[in-house]
Amino acid sequence: MTDIIANTEPSELGVEVAGAIRELAARSIEGLPISSYIEGASPLSWSEIADGEWDQIGVLDDGEGADLRDLVEVAMAWGETLLPLPYVETVLARRHSEIAQGAAGPFTFALPLPTAPGDNAYVPFADHEGIRILVGAGTPDAALADVPEGSRDELGLSLRGREVLVVSSLSDDVAREIAVCLAAESVGAARRLLEMGVSYTKERVQFGKPVGSFQAVKHHLANALIAVELAESAIIWASRDEHASGRVVASAVDGCIRAAELVLQVHGGVGFTWELGLHYYLRHMLIVRELVEGLLLSPRNAEEASS
Amino acid sequence: MPEVDESLESFVARAEEWLVDNVPERWKSTRGALSTAESDEIRHEWDRTLWRGGFAGLSFPSEFGGQGLGLAEEVAFHVLAARAQAPDGLSRIGRLLVAPMLVRSGTEAQRERYVAKILSGEQIWCQGFSEPTAGSDLAGISTRARRVDGGYLINGRKIWTSFAQHADRCFMLVRTDPDAPRYHNLSVLLVDMHQEGVTINDIRQASGAIHFAEVQFEDVFAAEEDRVGGEGEGWRVAMGVLADERGGIETATRYVEIRSDIDLLRQAVGSDPEWSDIVDALEIRAETLRWHLWKVVALDSQRDSAEFARAVAVLKVVWSELWQDVTRTGWKAFGPQREHWRFNYLESRAASIYSGSNEIQRNIISERVLGLPR
Repeated sequence: MTDIIANTEPSELGVEVAGAIRELAARSIEGLPISSYIEGASPLSWSEIADGEWDQIGVLDDGEGADLRDLVEVAMAWGETLLPLPYVETVLARRHSEIAQGAAGPFTFALPLPTAPGDNAYVPFADHEGIRILVGAGTPDAALADVPEGSRDELGLSLRGREVLVVSSLSDDVAREIAVCLAAESVGAARRLLEMGVSYTKERVQFGKPVGSFQAVKHHLANALIAVELAESAIIWASRDEHASGRVVASAVDGCIRAAELVLQVHGGVGFTWELGLHYYLRHMLIVRELVEGLLLSPRNAEEASS
Repeated sequence: MPEVDESLESFVARAEEWLVDNVPERWKSTRGALSTAESDEIRHEWDRTLWRGGFAGLSFPSEFGGQGLGLAEEVAFHVLAARAQAPDGLSRIGRLLVAPMLVRSGTEAQRERYVAKILSGEQIWCQGFSEPTAGSDLAGISTRARRVDGGYLINGRKIWTSFAQHADRCFMLVRTDPDAPRYHNLSVLLVDMHQEGVTINDIRQASGAIHFAEVQFEDVFAAEEDRVGGEGEGWRVAMGVLADERGGIETATRYVEIRSDIDLLRQAVGSDPEWSDIVDALEIRAETLRWHLWKVVALDSQRDSAEFARAVAVLKVVWSELWQDVTRTGWKAFGPQREHWRFNYLESRAASIYSGSNEIQRNIISERVLGLPR
């Protein structure tokens, strides 16, 4: 029986790059809250990513290099700050296309939506300067294309997407890697939210005590930790086992959403305000969950995959 | 014999082969029909078989007679043994709790007297912690150990004592000082169960099964040299034991039981799409638990890290609540194996209560792992 042992650890490369990315992102935001940068200019410029060749880390040389587990580690680190840059998208485009490897980035994808009418697709960071779509990634027809006109999506403000008319199928392998990495970003975002929930409930005083000392609040946060831990384990599983179903990836994002709901709850009134910005993380998880559905689970995509 | 630096894969192969040759056929095929005495004899013999085969005390240090392997081998072996339908031996408390406690906090003489007998399956142990009036509030126990010449006389009642009916010895948390402050008034004693004054009563559970006992101690003697740690240091010693109790090895066995219940459920619901969806979701939770367990194993070399603390702290809540959801679903499917699901549903109700109720687990997660104020 081969399904006894499970190797959950990333390689040294994955750990190193994740650490560097976490540091780079943290340095650029200087402790500022997400609301200060998510809808404005990115505090980290794309050229810092490109000059550091951080977007090359997924490129395989004779099959050698970062595996999907390593990319998960990096995407989780990226998800903690959700800087508005097409970083994970560009890493995956370079990984799966020689054309993209030889061209200047950044890149994005046209991702199938589960409920959109017709051939609508979601293009993350559609308005980013100089960005191009890698269409047909993982197929013989792969090509770079400009982002067509479309309507701005108002849900996932962190992904800055546009809904466009693009007929572009991704290979199953590429679709899976994109879904897994986006879900991993959500796990990083959920970890960050949990930290915020813990520090807020330690400080916020009601009835003369920190609200975090009340058992009902404690148990919400304990449940949030359980959800985040299992979401991480599920996404590690999905990254290491190519037979893991799309539902495994979806379950990871569902766990992140559950954790986000609990963290909003323990913030009380301020938790549901626009200003505090917890919703930016939650919105990210919601749009990612829709994309996971479109990439791996919706009937439309399943039909395409089988045809 | 294990080779030096054997890989985990080859350990798994060696263990699988050994289990095929050694799990008693009578247990595999007819255990439901065995009398209690027959079943106990097979279980006790299994402890000795493990020892002879070199599979007892896998992650126990070799300088103390264990195999000196890691948590990975221990977890893998428990998964394999459960799949091979190996018996559950009687020496679990001794091997998993007492022997590690003696390595951490015992004296050289205590280790010499007990560890070899525990590993070889010769001596069976039980654990005397909870009391009728001290469950979740363990530090509030009142069983009293009074100083007498050469040791202590114990009076009080312990409850939820697994293996009490089989045990040769009991390791007990007792109150040695009636006046010292909380957490500084307790000691751990190693007590001979075969003496006058020890009375054991079975506890029948909601499912009808008997896994626990209540034990009465009336003027029962424990020698001074059988105290683990100093007088008044019992709480510290007990905390080390509780950390072992909630670790990954227990989860490994539970995972296999849950997995086999899910497989049974899948057979029962067939291809019905609505039920298949429900079973798929349970299966994903079970396999996520397995990957999570291996995350714990991978982090075991960094036992002081926050990552390890987070990963290990959620195990008990996760497996117990998953098992309850599986048995509830099995019963509600109203399919075949009706007796199995009725029994397992009732049996699983206890899982969110024993070994530290899930409410206590969530307190531990929020206070010790997340650092929320008490």
